[in-house]
Amino acid sequence: MDFSELEAAEGLRWPWNAWPSSRSDAAAIVVPLSVIYTPLMPLPDLPLLPYEPLSCSRCCATLNPYARVDYRSALWICPFCHDKNPFPRSHAGIADHNVPAELFPTHSTVEYLLPNKNPNPFTSPSSVLNSSFSSNTLFTSSTSSLIPLPVSAPPPMAVSAPTPAFVFVVDVCSPEEELRALKNEILHVVANLPENSLVGLVSFGSMVWVHDLGYTECSRVVLFSGDRELSSVKVQKLLGISHQRNPKQATSQPLQKQGFLLPVSECEFNFTTAVEELHNSSTALPGHRPLRATGVAISTSTALLEGCSPNFGGRIMVFTSGPATTGPGMVAETDHRKAIRTQRDIINGNAFLYRKAQNFYQKLAQKLLERSLVFDLFACSLDQVGAAEMRFPIETSGGLLILAESFESEQFKKCLRHIFKHEEADRLDMKFDATIELVTTKEVKICGALGPCLSLRNQNSLASEKEVGQGGTSSWKTSTLTSKTSIGFIFQVGGNLANEPGPVFFVQFKTRYRHGDGSIRLRATTASRRWVDRLRPLDVRTGFDQEAAATIMARVGVSRAEDYHARDVIRWLDKMLIRFTAKFGEYAPEHPSSFRLLPGFSLYPQFMYHLRRSQFIDILNYSPDETAFFRVALNREGVNGSLVMIQPALLRYGFDGPPSPALLDTSSVTPDVILLFDSYFHVVIHYGSKIAQWRKLGFDKDQRNENLWKLLEAAEMDAEELIEGRIPAPRLIRCDQHSSQARFMLARLNPSATQKTRHVDGSEVVFTDDVSLQDFLEHLQSLAVQG
Amino acid sequence: MQNLQIGRPPPPSAAPSGPPPYLSGSVAPSVTVGSRPGPPPQTLPSRPQYQPPFTRPPPGIPNGPPSAGIPGPRFPSAASSMEPSPPAIPPQGSLPFPGSPPHGPPVNNISQPSVYPSQYSAAAAGVPMVPPSLVSGPPHSQPLMGGPLSQPYMSPPQMQQYTGPSQMQQQYTGPPQMQQQYTGPPQMQQQYTGPPQMQQQYTGPAHMQQYTGPPQMQQYPGPLQPPPISSGAPPFGSPPVWQQPRPGPGGFPMSSMVQAPPQMFGASPSSLTQRMPPVPPVMGNSPLAMAQPSTPSHVDPRQIPRPIPGSSVEFFETRQGNQANNPPSATSDFVVKDTGNCSPRLMRCTMNQVPCTGDLLSTSSMPLALMVQPLALPNPSEEPIQVVDFGESGPLRCSRCKGYINPFMKFVDQGRHFICNLCGFNNETPRDYFSNLGPDGRRRDADERPELCRGAVEFVATKEYMVRDPMPAVFFFLVDVSMNAIVTGATAAACSAISQCITDLPEGPRTMVGIATFDSAIHFYNLKRALQQPLMLVVPDIQDVYTPLHTDLIVPVAECRKHLEQLLESIPSMFESNKVVDSAFGSAIKAAFLAMKPTGGKLLVFQSVLPSIGTGSLSSRETEGRTNVSSGEKEAYKLLQPVDMTLKTMAIEFAEHQVCVDVFIITQAFVDIASVSVVPRTTGGQVYYYYPFSSLSDAAKLYNDLRWNISRPQGFEAVMRVRCSQGVQVQEYLGNFCKRIPTDIDLPGIDCDKSILVTFKHDDKFQEGTECAFQCALLYTTIYGQRRIRVSNLSLPCTSMLGNLFRAADIDTLFACLLRQAATGIQSSPLSQVREQIMNFCVNIFHSYRKFCASVSSTGQLILPESIKLLPLYTLALSKSIGLRNDALLDERSYWASHVPPLPIPLVVPWVYPRMISIHDLTLKGNNDSKLSSTLPLSAEHLSDNGIYLLENGEDCLFFIGNSVSTEILQQIFGVNSVDGIPTQFVLQQYDNTLSNALNDVVNEIRRQRSSFLRMRLCRKGDPSGMLFFSYMVEDKAPGGLSYVEFLVHIHRQIQTKME
Repeated sequence: MDFSELEAAEGLRWPWNAWPSSRSDAAAIVVPLSVIYTPLMPLPDLPLLPYEPLSCSRCCATLNPYARVDYRSALWICPFCHDKNPFPRSHAGIADHNVPAELFPTHSTVEYLLPNKNPNPFTSPSSVLNSSFSSNTLFTSSTSSLIPLPVSAPPPMAVSAPTPAFVFVVDVCSPEEELRALKNEILHVVANLPENSLVGLVSFGSMVWVHDLGYTECSRVVLFSGDRELSSVKVQKLLGISHQRNPKQATSQPLQKQGFLLPVSECEFNFTTAVEELHNSSTALPGHRPLRATGVAISTSTALLEGCSPNFGGRIMVFTSGPATTGPGMVAETDHRKAIRTQRDIINGNAFLYRKAQNFYQKLAQKLLERSLVFDLFACSLDQVGAAEMRFPIETSGGLLILAESFESEQFKKCLRHIFKHEEADRLDMKFDATIELVTTKEVKICGALGPCLSLRNQNSLASEKEVGQGGTSSWKTSTLTSKTSIGFIFQVGGNLANEPGPVFFVQFKTRYRHGDGSIRLRATTASRRWVDRLRPLDVRTGFDQEAAATIMARVGVSRAEDYHARDVIRWLDKMLIRFTAKFGEYAPEHPSSFRLLPGFSLYPQFMYHLRRSQFIDILNYSPDETAFFRVALNREGVNGSLVMIQPALLRYGFDGPPSPALLDTSSVTPDVILLFDSYFHVVIHYGSKIAQWRKLGFDKDQRNENLWKLLEAAEMDAEELIEGRIPAPRLIRCDQHSSQARFMLARLNPSATQKTRHVDGSEVVFTDDVSLQDFLEHLQSLAVQG
Repeated sequence: MQNLQIGRPPPPSAAPSGPPPYLSGSVAPSVTVGSRPGPPPQTLPSRPQYQPPFTRPPPGIPNGPPSAGIPGPRFPSAASSMEPSPPAIPPQGSLPFPGSPPHGPPVNNISQPSVYPSQYSAAAAGVPMVPPSLVSGPPHSQPLMGGPLSQPYMSPPQMQQYTGPSQMQQQYTGPPQMQQQYTGPPQMQQQYTGPPQMQQQYTGPAHMQQYTGPPQMQQYPGPLQPPPISSGAPPFGSPPVWQQPRPGPGGFPMSSMVQAPPQMFGASPSSLTQRMPPVPPVMGNSPLAMAQPSTPSHVDPRQIPRPIPGSSVEFFETRQGNQANNPPSATSDFVVKDTGNCSPRLMRCTMNQVPCTGDLLSTSSMPLALMVQPLALPNPSEEPIQVVDFGESGPLRCSRCKGYINPFMKFVDQGRHFICNLCGFNNETPRDYFSNLGPDGRRRDADERPELCRGAVEFVATKEYMVRDPMPAVFFFLVDVSMNAIVTGATAAACSAISQCITDLPEGPRTMVGIATFDSAIHFYNLKRALQQPLMLVVPDIQDVYTPLHTDLIVPVAECRKHLEQLLESIPSMFESNKVVDSAFGSAIKAAFLAMKPTGGKLLVFQSVLPSIGTGSLSSRETEGRTNVSSGEKEAYKLLQPVDMTLKTMAIEFAEHQVCVDVFIITQAFVDIASVSVVPRTTGGQVYYYYPFSSLSDAAKLYNDLRWNISRPQGFEAVMRVRCSQGVQVQEYLGNFCKRIPTDIDLPGIDCDKSILVTFKHDDKFQEGTECAFQCALLYTTIYGQRRIRVSNLSLPCTSMLGNLFRAADIDTLFACLLRQAATGIQSSPLSQVREQIMNFCVNIFHSYRKFCASVSSTGQLILPESIKLLPLYTLALSKSIGLRNDALLDERSYWASHVPPLPIPLVVPWVYPRMISIHDLTLKGNNDSKLSSTLPLSAEHLSDNGIYLLENGEDCLFFIGNSVSTEILQQIFGVNSVDGIPTQFVLQQYDNTLSNALNDVVNEIRRQRSSFLRMRLCRKGDPSGMLFFSYMVEDKAPGGLSYVEFLVHIHRQIQTKME
């Protein structure tokens, strides 16, 4: 079975589909035991069960097809812990001819529609997830102080369908034209929001303006000083939206009078007026950056959402065009002579502001996730804005990080509109408040998650001591999930397997989230994989998924790059690759030429080659912001998307045949073809010099040259198709051979022809010191065979 | 009790002859020896004693007086003159005291002395209360208790006999001068007569009796007080006095007056007697007038010294014949011609001659102080202060002391050098300022150059005087919109007032305005918006405020007039349903300050409730105070001090950045003015108080106050320094300002109504015959952005004669000193102590006078220097004023205390001794002037049940309506038929009838005089408002204090005690 078909059924990609059962064997196979999980992948025939799942009383795993069921005694045996669970009365009629959907063998993934008793996951009494939540020290401690926990009296709002809230945080230091474009976009988006969506508007320059949208007498804004960090409670108090501590008054009192966050239907006029009245108010001195209180704006918005929309999820959408220069989260001085931090500063520990800002935003992440708030950053600026510092909350909350050059750019508009895509006429396609919990066979320990989520740190027996990424837990939280969001989980097999385990192991993924229609759902996927029989080690190889492996390695590499110098990460990748090839290659020792790889492994070294050259690892040519942007995208993308990022795709459009994939090599660049290059972030239509010339001469407009016209058309259409639906939207670049814009493509091609090689007439030459793929592989072979 | 010399020397009469004498004035010191009925029994031996006493005392005392120059001779002379002198006296008196007609009688005394002996000097200085003396001594003692009563009555007749003298007075009055001064000749007479009455007053002891015992009251039929004598006697030693007086008055006092101390007393008695008869009850108002009618034998309370308003305009030259002229009374109407000294409106000294030595000063017990009101409004018919531009070089200054060029700098060496009159340094004359000297030693161009011939000039300041460009005129309004403010209508009133006032702001790009409102948050408004809706910017964090860094908060008025008006209109409705009770006053002013910081300017705050939250929040100390009352009043005065230093610290910062804060307290509850007022006090602003606020009747005043506040002549970012000749030095400045370095005071805002009191102390001696100069320099920015230096000069002769000091003493300034002292005092010591202090202030002065200047007089006489004969009355009124009363609300007292320091001198006296006139009979009086001048003494005795009275102190205007006022009058004035029909929230309407028109004319005239709209309140007998009215009847005995007569007696006793 093809790995991608399996993925389509389960939403899972396993680098290893068969696992060695001992820790040492696992270490020997180099690529970690792991899985790429796409929680909300649209699955065909996904059953939606309108009841609560049956959970194992011991390990909390839900009932699944792998459970053994004893119909006569109405018991089921949990495949994970082998505990016996009785069926409750509701399942009284269970029999072999009458089984619930989750027991159907084909339904390894089912979705439960949970009764909407209480939208607050922290307080719903009976759910499996909740038990795990309540044992989570990290959150309970903080929530108890911040959230009123209306256990005794659930907010009346719970009756109506919860509505997401959107706070638009607008930087008014943007140039006037930029601001105009931005305002138009925002207004457009808001006009298309479902009527009951809550919206808020916060603008900031040197101060933070929270616009009161419910005040009719005049335009009213509440100001916060941009250089002071205030606690959420304080902000809420100052806004007059603080919750009453007294449980008796824990009703939605604050929701009644405040005008900062209102349904679109109630405040559209005011909102529009307020947005239209935003003007560039910065008074920066020449040679200085304007004062931007981005940090305070964000924390204020957080407090606002916390206060007004306690548990229904929301997005804080920050639109900025420059770095924060004042208050918490500040990343640059106002004086232009003091440059904003560079990669080198960060590596060398010279970025004092960077560390401080990072701390600030890390704390913010906790708050965001407590309330299921999403932090989106739209940075449209030629300068850096401090995205690197803000990355953590953005990533963990599942938000979008978009870097563009201007608010007028298509990229920006696409992304923004994409977020507000409607699922149905009055409903956004937006899932909030997700928690993912894993249950595994006891031999399998969880090291951590790599991707847009935050560990809930509920230490239990399933969590391994070894932590990778967000570890130390068996459950994670993120504020929002898209159908594409993918998270990598790293596992470890139990230390000593005294008693031989069964032939298979199980992992159950339970994702609980709030659907766009307000319902709470739980999607449970139960997967089983084989243990590798010691006697037949080849099984490991047959289960190898090199694409998933490359993706995982990329994520692991990026995660390491947060802590280590880029050079060390490359060295580490190389070392791992050498060990990997030495392990799985077929060769005669000391004979590089005898080196062979199995078909299932053959592309892996090439992936690694491109990975180590990619912007994810080789960061020195990028600003910290860009790096953050790339890495955030990588960490949330599934296997296919990740592969494009690692190894771009190249299509060739020529007169000699239909479009065909071309080698990602400089040799593919020829004058008479159009190349469509896709590196995920950039889509380049590259016209060979001849074609460019023809086009310049207007041949394509001539009816007689239908071929040329069709060729150009085909490339355009394919490019459109690539861009469509991809978020963050790639930048489409049309360029001619030898033009400056071609660099976006050339930089990623295998430099088979450089200034050092012999010049072949007509071929493209790349000026670089990087080794070419051929050299790299040769080297690899020679190292691998050394043993 | 002996003579009160309540010296109201009838200067006017004396004037003709008098003035010259003064000037020449070796004699100047007017020693008025009033013999008062001696309180102690000793005095009893009325006549005999008196005479002896007089003689005796002189010996002992004389020493003092002689030195003063006033001594014996005069007295005797006076005495002798008394009888004959009357004619002479009046003129004298009149002259010296042009303004103060009341003195009349005393004057006589004085004049007499002066005329006879050493001319006026002695006489003028002190107006002996001759009559009192008569009353005083012996008689008192004798009658002591009940029995005496009858005697006193008896005595009166005698007085009548004296009436004869009254004729004398008439004669005196006769002098044209007199008449002029006193608008009404008859009045004059009365006034003069007054003095004699004074004696009677002494007799007044009778009143004393009243005080002492209600029964005594009865005895004094004439006096209003009915109480029987008997009881009274015990409490006060005075009762006996009474008795004494009576008998005394009858025979002794009179005789004594005339005979024994023929000098002063003689005169006065005569006058007294004279007056007695003539004085009509109404006349009684005049200070001097004693109540002859009732009991001739006693001192007639109506004849005790009282201020007599001058009804005609007087022309005053500041210097004549190279001598400083004594200025007219501050409360009178005068036109100044600046002939070297600046107008007394600008600077006024407690004594118009400066003592040569510090010893002399301390002997006199009077303070040497200057009331400075640098931007005082001139009379419209006065020549405006000239602006002098020295061009690039700036005004010419002494290179050592930096004093500015003035008429008293002496040019020498053919004009090549000039000698500074302040430090004596010999400066070189700059070449381009050189001018030859004329034969008289003056520069030939002196008369063409204002700075060389005028006491007050304004110099154009050069760059040198600026740390930055002159600031624009910034007005920032800050309005309380907390729930109470909204509900009581305070916000609406404030907004409407501001809205109406905007048009009064000076036009032009330099006038900027801003506005903010606040409750528990601060709301700023963007005024510069092309958009329809105003934009409100809320600053919620009041613990640590900031201001929207927005250039559009404060914008030129021309650009935002419309928006502002629209905004002001909508503010009350915007907050209509505001439920926020808290008010963050401290934070709000801080935030507004931050907005104004770059420029400075005026911050006008409209506060309605106790600041309960944010920076500088306050607690309701009033309740604390009340609860503490039970535990003793020891610490009660602390409630008049600011709670802590928070606001003070803030205020100093404001002042540094030239922000001047005015606070309008529009409230119906306790606001802790003691704490709040610190801010305006430190920044040169002032407190306005509307309590209890009525949106109906107070809105107009609020508007007018605000309008006057922003449209009156004023300056910004000012620095003031007073320089003086070597010999004295500035000791202290008192007023509303911020002082950061010892020599200068910073005034973020200064306007025409603000005065500053400067006290001096000697550090050296002056030579007799030299002059001591004072120069006040105020560097400020006009509302139009010009930097100016206003320099006022006052040069006064130095004297080594104590008598001269008394003669030249200025009651207005002196009392201003006392008032400020009291206002400061109540914040740091218990009330009883303060009252004692002011009493001592008074007693010490009179004691000094008695001891050193009234050599001949008998010990049994109370002698008051003519120039300050009103001091007892004012002191009494002060001790009964809101600030010093026990029963006043804490805030009222705080307000009272905060009102005093910047009080301009013409308003000092009215503030404690209000003006009362009857208005039911307005149409019967003459023109406006006379309507206003026919004041009534502040005694219930003068209130009739069928009358309506108006009482004003420059701030409040109370209408008292008798119980049986005729319907017709009610209808004419109030438009209603019965007293009960007048709404409590009173608004004065103008109806179409002569009485109403006349009343409105009068009220408007008062408003003009006081530069204040006046708070109209209605008082009816028998309810709290009536109580309020009666609390102003300071001459009456009240639970908290003595009656005027008793008070005089009391003072006399104190002096007596001291003498022993």
